[in-house]
Amino acid sequence: MSHSLHRYGSIEDLENDYCIYARCAKGVNRNNPGEKLRRILEIYQTEDFVNFGSAHAGKCYLDGLDPKQYAKRLDRAYGMIVSFSKKSSAENILRKLKDENIGISIVVSGLIDEIRDIAKKCGLKLHTATLSLGIYGNTSLLPKKNTLKITTMCGHSLIGNRLVESIIEKVRTEKITIEDAALILAKPCVCGIFNTVRCSKLICKQL
Amino acid sequence: MRINPDKCIGCEKCIIYCPLNCIVKEDKKCKIDEDECVDCGVCKRANICPTDAIFMPRECFDYPRAVRMQFSDPCAYHPSMKSFGRGTEEAKTNDVTGKFKKGEYGLLLEFGRPCVGVRLSEIEKVTVAMRTKGLPILEENPLFGLLEEDDSGHFKKEYVNEKLLSAILETRFKEDELETIIRTILPLLDNLSTVVSVGLVTRFANDGSLPIIKKLEDLNMNIRVRPNAKINVGLGRPLID
Repeated sequence: MSHSLHRYGSIEDLENDYCIYARCAKGVNRNNPGEKLRRILEIYQTEDFVNFGSAHAGKCYLDGLDPKQYAKRLDRAYGMIVSFSKKSSAENILRKLKDENIGISIVVSGLIDEIRDIAKKCGLKLHTATLSLGIYGNTSLLPKKNTLKITTMCGHSLIGNRLVESIIEKVRTEKITIEDAALILAKPCVCGIFNTVRCSKLICKQL
Repeated sequence: MRINPDKCIGCEKCIIYCPLNCIVKEDKKCKIDEDECVDCGVCKRANICPTDAIFMPRECFDYPRAVRMQFSDPCAYHPSMKSFGRGTEEAKTNDVTGKFKKGEYGLLLEFGRPCVGVRLSEIEKVTVAMRTKGLPILEENPLFGLLEEDDSGHFKKEYVNEKLLSAILETRFKEDELETIIRTILPLLDNLSTVVSVGLVTRFANDGSLPIIKKLEDLNMNIRVRPNAKINVGLGRPLID
């Protein structure tokens, strides 16, 4: 990842958009993490998640990744990500992870002030931040800003501007629903950090 | 990636899926510009081709071309790093590795992202400048393995023209080097023919604040720290505080 770091949008656009990532560290706790990751996956599923996945799984929940089948493959994994569209869900997950003291590094992406608030409520001492300083270089090559808000929800840049614009046009011409559009756009993002709830809101604003 | 012309019926369904817009229709068939293609696999995984004409040719697995897939397809494996994705842990595990300590910052330069892609020749403009100025390039990163061993900052020549969807270059420096590093590196990005998403790694102060934000503002370089971030919440064990 820097995956979920560079999600583009206004503060209002970025509210209620959380990715929680569990990641084992090479040379520290990456050998045989299966049981721990399975427990984390169970915890993830105790709340109303939007999506989850990981690169090694090859697809995300919204593209058909079955949690039970996925759990069986976690012995060879070293990380997984879940996305939420409610602050309360993110808070509950972090509290449960803290209480269980599993020992795998946990990273949360979202608005800094919201994460601070959650951490305070859960009694977490924030350790390290990766801040986004924005996009540099030849920015004339970028798609329009409304499109970027959606494409940047895939941190590996697997969702192209043409797909976004084409799918939104299909919504405009009433060939598909907003929810179907968000689902189509979520599928290329194998890590499962594409938040379809946020995407639906963004599409709504563009119609 | 390639489209088998004997199977392609020219339906164009694949065209919109390419993140870099390198599928075109010619002579009633869809065709991938293989020099521009980064082998990310999105068009194949989308499973939208009615005749299953899209495939990854054998030569995409051979070096130097293989690095395209390794950096661009998160489902592919970086053999040098034994990991998927862009191959670096960045600060995700900093609570147990101590990669970025108190008093240090990290700068993460994500070339090609979003939506543009990047040739290694473009990244090389930055790596050469960094080496010339004596700035460190972190080794725990698959880009490092593509560099010549002579500390020139050049990539091994067989890789220079390879194109990637994105790649992360990392550096680490002391707090008091912030201004020098920022004033040296950010201007280097201005003349690139790609985009660079820039990230900065910092430890939280004991009171939970992020003093770096004020320090960046004080540089008067119009650096706007975005309101969203990626935060390691310190649940890894054993904890390195």
